[in-house]
Parts: sequence; C-alpha cells; structure tokens
Amino acid sequence: MNLVQQLINGIVLGHAYALIAIGWTVLLGVARLVNFGHGQIYMLAAFVTWWSVAALGLPYPVAIGVAVVAGIVIGLIMQAAMLRLTFAQDLVSIMIVTLGFGHMMRGIAGLVFGGNPQVLETPLSWVEFEIAGSWVTAQDVAIVVVAILFFLLLHLVLERGSLGRTARMVAEDPKLAQLAGIDVRRVYFAVFAFEGAAVALAAALVAPRTPILTNIGFEEVIITFVVVVLGGIGSVAGSYLAGLGLGIFTALFGGFVSPAYATTAAFLVLIVVLVLRPSGLAMGRASR
Amino acid sequence: MSTPLRTLAFAVAAVLVFLLPGWIGGVHGAFAVIAIMAVAAYGLDIVVSDLGEVSLAHTVFFAAGAYATGLLSTRLGAGSWVTFAAALASGALIALVLGLVTLKLREFVFSLVTYAATVVAASIAHNWSLLGGSDGVSGIPTLDLSVGPLHLTARNDVELWPVAFALLLVTLYAIRQFRLSRLGAMAMMVHLNPRLATMSGIEPRRVRLAVFVLSAPFSAAAGWLYAYQRAYIGPDLFETYFLVLMLTAVVLVGRRRLLAPLIGTALIVGQERFLSFGGDVNAIILGGALVTALAILPGGLDALLHRLVEPRRASQTGASNSEASVGTPNTKPMVQP
Repeated sequence: MNLVQQLINGIVLGHAYALIAIGWTVLLGVARLVNFGHGQIYMLAAFVTWWSVAALGLPYPVAIGVAVVAGIVIGLIMQAAMLRLTFAQDLVSIMIVTLGFGHMMRGIAGLVFGGNPQVLETPLSWVEFEIAGSWVTAQDVAIVVVAILFFLLLHLVLERGSLGRTARMVAEDPKLAQLAGIDVRRVYFAVFAFEGAAVALAAALVAPRTPILTNIGFEEVIITFVVVVLGGIGSVAGSYLAGLGLGIFTALFGGFVSPAYATTAAFLVLIVVLVLRPSGLAMGRASR
Repeated sequence: MSTPLRTLAFAVAAVLVFLLPGWIGGVHGAFAVIAIMAVAAYGLDIVVSDLGEVSLAHTVFFAAGAYATGLLSTRLGAGSWVTFAAALASGALIALVLGLVTLKLREFVFSLVTYAATVVAASIAHNWSLLGGSDGVSGIPTLDLSVGPLHLTARNDVELWPVAFALLLVTLYAIRQFRLSRLGAMAMMVHLNPRLATMSGIEPRRVRLAVFVLSAPFSAAAGWLYAYQRAYIGPDLFETYFLVLMLTAVVLVGRRRLLAPLIGTALIVGQERFLSFGGDVNAIILGGALVTALAILPGGLDALLHRLVEPRRASQTGASNSEASVGTPNTKPMVQP
C-alpha cells in the first residue's frame, strides 16, 4: 500500500467522520444532550436517500433533501418524547431512551425497507479523478467540500451570531436562559432537529460508499463518540480536527497494521482519554 | 403478611411456575430462555437499582460466560461444572478490570465507557479467530451436571428447564440476601447520599467496585446456561438486542422490587415467543417499551399501577417525580417547560 494513497483515503474518511459527528457535537455542546440513536438515524436516512432515488426516481440532490427532512422529523419526535427528561437534565435516562429509539428505528427500517442490502448509486460516484497516483470519486470530493462548507458555516453561526449566544446561554444555564426570556423549549427542539438533519445529510453523502443495511450505524455512532470526545465536547473546530485525525489514523492503521482492528484501536484511544481525563467530559450540572 | 406466610406463598408460587410449562406443553424452551435472561438482567439490576449507575457492559459479562463455556467445552472437553466455574470467573475478572478502570467515573461518563467496552469486546469477538471469529463456536455438548450417582443431563429444553429454574431461584435468593446485607445497605447509601456515606466511614469507590464485580457473575451464569441451551455461541451475543432486553427488563416494572426484572423479562420474551409479529415489529415493541418506561411512565408499570389504584395519594405526594431518574435521584428542581 502506498502512503499517499492511504493519506488521501484518510482525508476523505476524516471529512466523512467529521460530518457524521457534527450533529452530536452541537447536541452535546449546545444542549448538553446525548443521542445513542444517532447511528440508527444515519441508517434510516441512508435508506430514505436510496429509496428516493431507486423507488421514487428522484434526482440525487432532491433525495438528499428528502433524507434531511426525514432526519428533522425523527429528531423532533425523539425530543418531544424526551422533553421532561431534558428539562430534568437526566442524561442517563436520555441515553437509555435514545438506545430504545435506536432499537425501534432498526425495526422500522427492517419493516419498511426490508432486510436486503442496498447500494445507493449516485451520478457522482461514476466520476473519477486521479490525484497523486490514486483514484478519487466525485462523491469523495463532494464529501470533503460539503464537510468544509458545513463546518465553516456552523463555526460562523455559533461563534459570531446571536443564535450561538442564545444556544450557549441555554447550555450554561437553562433556568437563567428561561428567565432572560429565551424559549428554552424551542432551543431544545431546534437542536435535536439539527442533530437529525446533520446526520441525515452525512448519511446521504457518505452512505453511497458502503452497502446500506439495517444493522449499519453501530460503527458510525462509535466514530461519533471518538470524534466528539477527542475534539473536546461541543467544540466545532475541535470536532473537525478530531474527525480528520481519526480518518487519517484509521486509514493508516487499516492500511499498514490491521483493517479489522482499526475501529477497535480508535475506541481504545477513547477509553484511555475518558479514563485519564474524565473532567474533559464533566458536563456541568449533569455530573455535579 | 408475616414472614413464614410469605415464604409459604412464595414456595407455592414457585412450584406452580415450575409446573406451568408442563401443563401448557411445548413451551419449556421459552420458559428456560425467560429464566436465563432474567438471571442476566438481575446482574444489571443491582448495578442500576442499588448502585444507581447504568452499566452498558453487562452484555459483555453475559457473553463472557457463554464464550468461556463454548470454548472450554468444545476445545478442551471441559464438563459443565468446570465451565460454570470458568464462566463465573471470567465474568468477575472482566468486571474487576473494567471496574478498576472506571473507578473514578460516574453517571454518564461511566455509561459511555462501559458502552465503549462492549463495542471493543464485540469487535474482538468478531475478529479474533481464537474466539471463533464471526462464525462463533458451534457443537457445544449437552449440559451434564451429574455428580456421583446423581444423573443430571439436559438433552433438550424439557430437561434444561429445571436447571434454568434452579439458577433463577438461586439468583432470586442471592439478590434478596444482597439487599439485606451490609454491602447492599452501603450501596444504597452510596447511591442516595455519597457524602453521608463517606462521613460514615464508607469508601464509595470500594463499594461501587464490589457491587460491580458481584453483579457480573449473575449475567455470566446466564451466559453459561444460554450457551448450552443454544449449543452455539457467536458475536451475535453482543448485539444491542441483549442490552436493550436487559435494560428494559430492569426499568419496565419498577426499581428495587425483587420480582420486577423477572416479570419484565417474562413480558418481553413472552411477547416475542407467544405473540410475535416478526423480528422487526418485535424490535419496535421492545424499543418502544424502553422509551415508554423511562420517558412516559417514570417508575415503570409498578408506579403506573399505584397511580391508577391510588390516584389521590400519588398526586398528593408527587410520586411521579420521585422515581423519574435512573441514576442518582433527581434532587434538582425541575424547570417547567
């Protein structure tokens, strides 16, 4: 295996990881919430994209839109069910409830889309470029470009705009934010809708790289943990760098050591970080 | 009810439950699986209900018990008592390592690390050929617990059911004794008021570690019997199904009720076996039950029943909030939406 090839592969993979994780980053950073059904939203959105293209015959960009709408709807439903737990900041219960939602989504996907693996073919995956001796599809380039634009936009919105200020205030102290006249409920709904939309967008772009099955999503949620924790909870720029770093690490480890254990190695890093620096994850009031 | 009367009632109920599958006929397999999965859930139950932490690693202990059994019995020809001891030891050992690693962690971070451990274990089981890789290990021999002249084998589910039932009874007794024991009392104190516990000379980290290590052999013992029941082990033991099943069984009926995880498991596995709508709908029902039990009916079915029976008292004491939290009891005032 050639190093440049693995590096390019890693850069594409890294942008895919960062894109998959961004919903969780904002969810945790802005609302101090978690979603263990993240991977299953990815899976459902991948199926919705495939179904829109294959069954409805919609053009790929429209199918992405359909998937994003589906992601938003799922996010809103989940938040509606968990509103009481959210206000109580009962993170552990939220974690288990989202695991339950993930299990439900797998059942729903199996029921609606069947158990057969599907392949999503997009017009972009047919176009190939040669960069430094290795082949990259236009789909890969699209992942990188969309990820960079998305992160830049988010960085600007959260760091500069009034929206970011509101969100940070809710994250710091929901009660104070409420007193200051912020509709905390709306912020929570908006953040969960964003989480659904972001992971759906990631699915629509990244899923064409692999077969779509009802049991995918497990790996995606793992990657997301690693990116969010290594990037520093809730840090948009940190997530981008962590995603990129993890992508390159996975590609190099997979290429030169063992492809089977690449994710495991990444996850062991996560455990070590969490155990050595639990304070990095100390989530304000939630952990007291 | 007085204690002897309670014991008698329990004994009568136990005998009736034991004879039940024989009367219905053809359901020994389902009953055995209910007993096995209930035992696995009890391991998780003392961590969730008594210690107040949510472990997502109990599927690892369950799988460790099954793997120890499958590997030792097929590769080394070990007997069922040896595999039983090995299953308990491997569960406890993994719990000890994981418990030491997570000694300082609590609540959400603890859960996240235990989940990470489950994922790592699943990935190792999938990829390591020594453990059978993704194919797993099949051809596990018949359960044989014969001692001396006593002949005790389980060639089919009818013969396995008494063993599963005995394991369940032992587990119920052990859980009851744990809750009456000093360790059980200390666990509750650490759970409800860590500061007071520390002031009373209790070392919270030691209590947490002890309860965590103690909980693992229950789930591992369940894995031991499950391996014999299926005659096959594989990485599917790490599937979220088992995790969601155990969590739902623990929270569905109510917290810190001796029979709650058993009733929860019976409801879930009973639905899957006798009222099945196919795997996909069953998954929706199971996931939905977990969501409902925590988000919509805090305190589980037990609290719902209480609210229905005694609506006035429940509304006066605000009982609905007291059991809302899985982890540490929620003492913070809630912000009303």
